Amino acid sequence: MTTVTNMPLSDLLKSFKLKTKQQELLIRVSILCLVYILAFITRLFSVLRYESMIHEFDPYFNYRTTLYLTQNGFYDFWNWFDYESWYPLGRIVGGTLYPGLMVTAVLIYRILHFLRFAVHIREVCVLTAPFFASNTTLVAYFFGKEIWDTGAGLVAAILIAICPGYISRSVAGSYDNEGVAIFALLFTFYLFVKAVNTGSLAWSLASAFGYFYMVSAWGGYVFIINLIPLYVLVLLITGRYSMRLYVAYNCMYVLGMLLAMQIRFVGFQHVQSGEHMAAMGVFFLMQVFYFLDWVKHMLSDTKLFQAFLRITVTCAVVVGTIALGLGMLSGYISPWTGRFYSLLDPTYAKDHIPIIASVSEHQPTAWSSFMFDYHILLFLFPAGLYFCFKRLSDATIFIVMYGLTSMYFAGVMVRLILVATPAVCLISAIAVSATVKNLTVLLRSKNKGVLTGSTKGSSSSRASSKALLDQSQPFQKNGAIALLFGAFYLLSKYATHCTWVTSEAYSSPSIVLAARGAHGNRVIFDDYREAYFWLRQNTPVDAKVMSWWDYGYQITAMGNRTVIVDNNTWNNTHIATVGRALSSYEDEAIEIMRSLDVDYVLVVFGGVTGYSSDDINKFLWMVRIGGGVFPVIKEPDYLVNGEYRVDKGAAPKMLNCLMYKLCYYRFGEMLTEYGKPPGYDRARGVEIGNKDIKLEHLEEAFTTSNWIVRIYKVKPPNNRW
Amino acid sequence: MSQKIRTAPKQDSQSTGTIAVADASAQVSMDPFFHILKLVPYSFLRPPRLRLKLPSFSLPSAMTVFSLILLTYFMVVSGFIYDVIVEPPGIGSTQDPATGAVRPVVFLPGRVNGHYIIEGLSSGFMFVLGGIGIVLLDLALDKNRARSIKVSYSIAGISSVVIAYVPGYLYQSFELKLFY
Repeated sequence: MTTVTNMPLSDLLKSFKLKTKQQELLIRVSILCLVYILAFITRLFSVLRYESMIHEFDPYFNYRTTLYLTQNGFYDFWNWFDYESWYPLGRIVGGTLYPGLMVTAVLIYRILHFLRFAVHIREVCVLTAPFFASNTTLVAYFFGKEIWDTGAGLVAAILIAICPGYISRSVAGSYDNEGVAIFALLFTFYLFVKAVNTGSLAWSLASAFGYFYMVSAWGGYVFIINLIPLYVLVLLITGRYSMRLYVAYNCMYVLGMLLAMQIRFVGFQHVQSGEHMAAMGVFFLMQVFYFLDWVKHMLSDTKLFQAFLRITVTCAVVVGTIALGLGMLSGYISPWTGRFYSLLDPTYAKDHIPIIASVSEHQPTAWSSFMFDYHILLFLFPAGLYFCFKRLSDATIFIVMYGLTSMYFAGVMVRLILVATPAVCLISAIAVSATVKNLTVLLRSKNKGVLTGSTKGSSSSRASSKALLDQSQPFQKNGAIALLFGAFYLLSKYATHCTWVTSEAYSSPSIVLAARGAHGNRVIFDDYREAYFWLRQNTPVDAKVMSWWDYGYQITAMGNRTVIVDNNTWNNTHIATVGRALSSYEDEAIEIMRSLDVDYVLVVFGGVTGYSSDDINKFLWMVRIGGGVFPVIKEPDYLVNGEYRVDKGAAPKMLNCLMYKLCYYRFGEMLTEYGKPPGYDRARGVEIGNKDIKLEHLEEAFTTSNWIVRIYKVKPPNNRW
Repeated sequence: MSQKIRTAPKQDSQSTGTIAVADASAQVSMDPFFHILKLVPYSFLRPPRLRLKLPSFSLPSAMTVFSLILLTYFMVVSGFIYDVIVEPPGIGSTQDPATGAVRPVVFLPGRVNGHYIIEGLSSGFMFVLGGIGIVLLDLALDKNRARSIKVSYSIAGISSVVIAYVPGYLYQSFELKLFY
């Protein structure tokens, strides 16, 4: 011990000094830990501002099913028939949902309870998405390492941790399939690329299980089952067929397909649906390639082999086409469903399927949406593509294909920016990493300047170049330093933008509205929950509530009452019936409502607060969907010269339809804004046309404090006339 | 598998032997279609002597594919599909309240999920320019070029990246108005 104390301080410190490799490992691990924590905490804005609650509409259904799963166990959950929604049809929940998210949340809940952390299932649900976002950053690091090198992996992890395109659907409280599905997507792709690179059976089987997790989590698994065959096809065309590819694809396809059929919602689609046929076709093509490779290995005559090759490929393609044609004609193989067909032909949904066209997330993307979600990644992406093309390998071809296909789909539908985000982050990371590496190599080449000068002098054969290069070394170094500062500036602007976007745009729970009051203070509107809790406490247990399908999930989850239609939108005729009821005159509507056993009607009205996503603004979609099934409802009846108005010049059918009456009942006496007449609709900016509204068959039951949600009770028929 | 390798070549050598004999003779063919065709049209019709060649299919180079991809990326990022489906006007216009003159409005105000055609195309072009700028920077740092070309590439690259940041900067100036 005395020898240690006699050592000077500098020697003591030197004994702790790590070797370079250990230093590098320490830096990498600490960066990854910081990125993991960052990805989690940047998604917590709404939890800190409001409270730990579930956002939006769809997550409420997921929360309700998770609650059912914790209370009743997996067997009852898997076979659950829900009679509380889609009255009187009911819904087979077990067979029409993707169980991955719920099972994952309940697993985390059970683990925490096992460790004696007595958390409520709601807290687990709220924080599932940020937890999986952190895991996605780790997968992105490993994926980047696989494609390029560790530097690119680290940059990819950082970029994806704060990218707004991903944050939008994985913020705390957004308990939706995509939160888990993006993790599963990237994980499956990473495992598959690893399998193709190594050719090992273990990695291929792991990718099959990753695919199974993805199928159980989200309907977007169709993207995987089409991208991977497309990738294999591109590899085959560019002559990169190898035994590794054969092993990887075969294992993944066969085992993945069998595992996917375990999910009842997917069923036999892998052999019956047109969207999955590409994978099967490529599977058979791979067998043909293997067969040809084997024959080539046997034959010694190349000319004969060429003839054999041509005949076999022609035969295989002809047989495949005939089989596909027979399958489609006989109806065994179903054609592409509307949702996915509208991705290939974006004009299809507008003309044929108004329900799909009405969802705001399904609109095509404007450049400003791209800018909002990606910022500097938009011009790093083409640079990254260039670097990938410079160093083509199996892995870079994959990431290029993933990037291009997902960017095309992101251009078609705003919601799919989420699917493109990992690819864009990875490719941009390659650009950043390669550029920074070039610049730092330039910075570090101080002593080799003379040597490189001499070799360059001999290669370019210019005698004066050596002198010029020696002079230009400091200029190049200063240039490199300046460029590094520029890169740092751009990346810091990216971080600022991402944090600002997360804080302002993507952290609103949608069920609680916030606005700025007259003095700049924050005003909170909690009307939705007020209305749902009123329903829960003041209506009979078996009451049936009719509303537009947007609010169905929330009413069943929070109000605990049966609804007529909800966000699942699986039955268009039922939704059209509700749409017809809301757009007819009161006498016709009451007939429809009595036939559906409706007790309460719920509408959302934004005229007092200026809330613009209310039912009057959505009304034309109700007309279109209702008119799509019942030709009695005609859209031009509600418009004046093609214009949609609610003031004095509105169409008479509009002024007397049920939705108008329910939204504007007693609104004519209301003073909403200083200096404007009573009955001034702040969301539309006009004074309403019909102020004297009398309801005959309904009576007002409840209106929330800011008039946002209004509930009406259906009166029983008259006893005596 | 290995047993099959041992037995197969024997059969193959036999079959190659027979086919080689068939090629050598070239007249005695086992193909029935050949015999039928030799009889029916081609006993009195004479095929003309043409020098036809099946078009050979060669894969394009990597950089060709890259330039095509840049073009499609430009179309996607400038919101081309949005332009085709929603059909917004090319450029917006407001009326100056004081003078009554009609002034053009470049950026669609008030929303993030819409644009005018010209603003979309110009922003998309600037993004592609920025990407090309970084590519030029990488080419400038390549060791095997003449110095003047390297300098010009690096200057062009830096200026392109600076230009590419312009949409982001302009965007921030009016997106702040959106939420406050």
